[in-house]
Amino acid sequence: MYRFILRRFLWLLLVLFVVLLITFILMHLVPGGPWDREKTLAPKVIEALNRRYGLDKPLWQQFTNYIGGVLHGDLGVSYSYSDRNVTDILIRGLPKTATLGALAFLISQLIGIPLGVAAALKQNSPTDYASVLFSTVFASIPGFVLGILMMILFSVLLHWLPTSGWGTPQQLIMPVICLAALPAAQIARITRASTLEVMRLDYVRTARSKGLREDVVRVRHIFRNSLIPVVTIAGPELANLITGSFIIENLFAIPGVGRIFLNGIASRDYPLIMGGVLFYAFAIAIMNLIVDVLYAAIDPRIRYD
Amino acid sequence: MKPLLEVCNLTTQFHTQDGIVQAVDNVSYNLGRGETVALVGESGCGKTVSALSIIKLIAIPPGKIVSGSVFFEGVDILKLSDEEMRKIRGAKISMIFQEPLTSLNPVLTIGLQLSEGLEAHRHLSKQEARSEAINLLKMVGIPHPESRVNDYPHQFSGGMRQRVMIAIAIACKPQLVIADEPTTAVDVTIQAQLLELIRGISKELNTSLILITHNLGIVARYAHRVFVMYAGRIVESGNALEVYHQPEHPYTSGLLASVPRLDEPRKLRLEPIKDQPPDLISLPPGCSFEPRCKYAIAQCRTDKPELVEIDRNHFSACWVAQKGHKPWQKK
Amino acid sequence: MTTTIEQPPMTTRPHHTLWSDAVIRLRRNKFAMVGIGFIVFLSLAAIFAPLLTPYSFSEQHYNEILLSPSWKHPLGTDQLGRDTFARLLYGARTSLSVGIFTQFIVLCIGLPVGAIAGYSGGTTDNLIMRFVDVMYAFPDILLIILLRFVLGGSIYMLFLAIGLVAWVNVARLVRGQILSLKTRDFVSASRAMGGMGNYITWRHLLPNALGPIIVMVTFNVPRAIFTEAALSYIGIGVKPPTPSWGAMIQDGFNLIFSKPYMLLFPAIGLALLMLAFTFLGDGLRDALDPKQRR
Repeated sequence: MYRFILRRFLWLLLVLFVVLLITFILMHLVPGGPWDREKTLAPKVIEALNRRYGLDKPLWQQFTNYIGGVLHGDLGVSYSYSDRNVTDILIRGLPKTATLGALAFLISQLIGIPLGVAAALKQNSPTDYASVLFSTVFASIPGFVLGILMMILFSVLLHWLPTSGWGTPQQLIMPVICLAALPAAQIARITRASTLEVMRLDYVRTARSKGLREDVVRVRHIFRNSLIPVVTIAGPELANLITGSFIIENLFAIPGVGRIFLNGIASRDYPLIMGGVLFYAFAIAIMNLIVDVLYAAIDPRIRYD
Repeated sequence: MKPLLEVCNLTTQFHTQDGIVQAVDNVSYNLGRGETVALVGESGCGKTVSALSIIKLIAIPPGKIVSGSVFFEGVDILKLSDEEMRKIRGAKISMIFQEPLTSLNPVLTIGLQLSEGLEAHRHLSKQEARSEAINLLKMVGIPHPESRVNDYPHQFSGGMRQRVMIAIAIACKPQLVIADEPTTAVDVTIQAQLLELIRGISKELNTSLILITHNLGIVARYAHRVFVMYAGRIVESGNALEVYHQPEHPYTSGLLASVPRLDEPRKLRLEPIKDQPPDLISLPPGCSFEPRCKYAIAQCRTDKPELVEIDRNHFSACWVAQKGHKPWQKK
Repeated sequence: MTTTIEQPPMTTRPHHTLWSDAVIRLRRNKFAMVGIGFIVFLSLAAIFAPLLTPYSFSEQHYNEILLSPSWKHPLGTDQLGRDTFARLLYGARTSLSVGIFTQFIVLCIGLPVGAIAGYSGGTTDNLIMRFVDVMYAFPDILLIILLRFVLGGSIYMLFLAIGLVAWVNVARLVRGQILSLKTRDFVSASRAMGGMGNYITWRHLLPNALGPIIVMVTFNVPRAIFTEAALSYIGIGVKPPTPSWGAMIQDGFNLIFSKPYMLLFPAIGLALLMLAFTFLGDGLRDALDPKQRR
């Protein structure tokens, strides 16, 4: 089991390194320099700026410097906010993004799993049809589109909820729901399909033939197996949540990491962009690692790989 | 002596998109305490469904136990409530299934799968159940039971898993064990071991055994009586050795002729029964075996034969046999 | 006296190929049919846009800014005096073309890579799969954003950016399919019989293998459509004046309280288009599932 965790951790490091490398290379392939603004600056100024930001050194050295920095938590200095470094800027947005993500994740599980299970246990009942319809529709509509529709309905037409900002519970409702809807729908689908499949398996019949109570059969034999895929997809779900969050943050004007990142994109602030990419990639990679370990913990079959 | 189990006129159907499947049609059999009875027939003849019907393990939406009774220790268990039925399953009547790999929960330890029945029926504590589980593993011949009890099903070989299934079935010392093709999914070499194990245990615990199989060799050796099924009905029944040596139904004799036997000359041709078993949705009006039967007469096509006693305690559902002819028997 | 009578075969079912079976089942699926209907409807609207509106998507009428819907402008005009309805129609062209053309790139890269990995096995397979795994670990949309900067702003580069990231899934799937075909029992059996049946075997197996690939590509289309809309919303999608529903959402955002329909139509359009492709994908998946053959 520990070997498993170690291997996955080493893989994580490799992935992060490659992400860093690719991001670095791509950023340096972008046509035009970082100083291309409305006004063209004097060459001497450009030279001075380059020297200040270490951009006159050979590429590989810039890269190693960057890695060194990253290992110390230093992601460089932002071009637009020239007195602040990227790490600080990102960290400022972290709590809000983390809260948004965590809430959305929680809600997606709390809605998706029971919905899927109920649909499977009562197959072909109205509950089932409603659940399937819900999951098909909401699994296809991305959070950003849903957000706009919700805004029009709840803010513009009904005046129930505010369209932006952060701080009050009302401001949280729409962003969290938009972010959670798609994963909830996917979880409901997978849970339903998985539970239906497990219900028909032989070992469930064996459990019943032992005369066990129905709730024991359900929890210990059916769910214990049918919820495994939910854990498996939790990794990709979290990844989607994280990458979806920056658009939602923009839509609802939430001052989280996503907003900062997008501003960086708009202003071509390369250190900020790179820092943002790294941040997201790192978060996703860690989530995936946790999910993989969890998966090994609940399914003994893959432990002995 | 009153029989332990009496299945009377059991009829089970499945409602499918294509029509109603007559899986079990008016089937009756019985067995006494300590007796071993074999249910024999091809795949799809209804033997498994009839056994599952006894303990109401049929999936009820498509399936339906349409009529009949199952008297166990004098009580019609088909009329019991779900809760009462649950108390019987595992404790008084238990089942061994055919596929040991898929019949065991892959994410639970063997120990837990053994002890959950013990905790539920015999109300043992966790520790008591665990030590009893180790005992059971010992009884079915699994080496190092103390450490194996914490292992998972995928860590066992096929034969070992089937032994675990047997242990699970006898855990609460039931009166009746239904073994549904217990050796089909296992190597031939293991088959004999498993059957000896089953026989030994059933003798030791004085358990009655319903042995469901399509393997006639097993029938002769391990069963006292045999019921031959075809297309959802019983076509012949009687003492195992008698049926074996003097079959009173062309299907039984056909089955016997299609299997190689050690006591026959090697060069003797195997004669398979031609064609396929009938579609259980659209059964012919007369005898279901008639289309494949070499000895059929006109009546066989129009009237369904009932089980009639031909010899002492030897029954057959065949018009030809009931007329006193047995052209399929060797002189 | 015994009589034996010859019976006709038990079941006489007409022989269907996988495709004709699938088409029949697809037709029966109401949701999938609605999906196809909508896609066709929208495609026709997009193709015949010039016939449906006299305006182009970029004409700016400075004296007709922010008008409400009228006979002249069925959905009003935007802040630059452009006809909203026209932009909606031409925006459909953008969405549909991004959705579909990116899949060509995805298939052009993904099919060969996956096939080579699956066929060769061994080290080639290993290397390719390691590369695929690493690419897979990079969050899609981030990579696309980076590529947008590198490749430049034209719409063809947008196809390329999205395609370069999405081929990975297809490659994996293709490899998996080829591997499972290679190890099927009847392939070895046909080899044992002299291998002459090999070509015929592959001819029969390949349609089976193509099924999941078709389904995956169908599901990829709404993803690509959404990616384009999201990128345009952020500002790094198609360059104006090329219309895009995502850009329309961005532009219309300030008007959400005064003229919500400016946002509503592109948003609903996106939602319906994506739903339509999802229904189609679901329908195709069920129709092509060999286990459901009757």
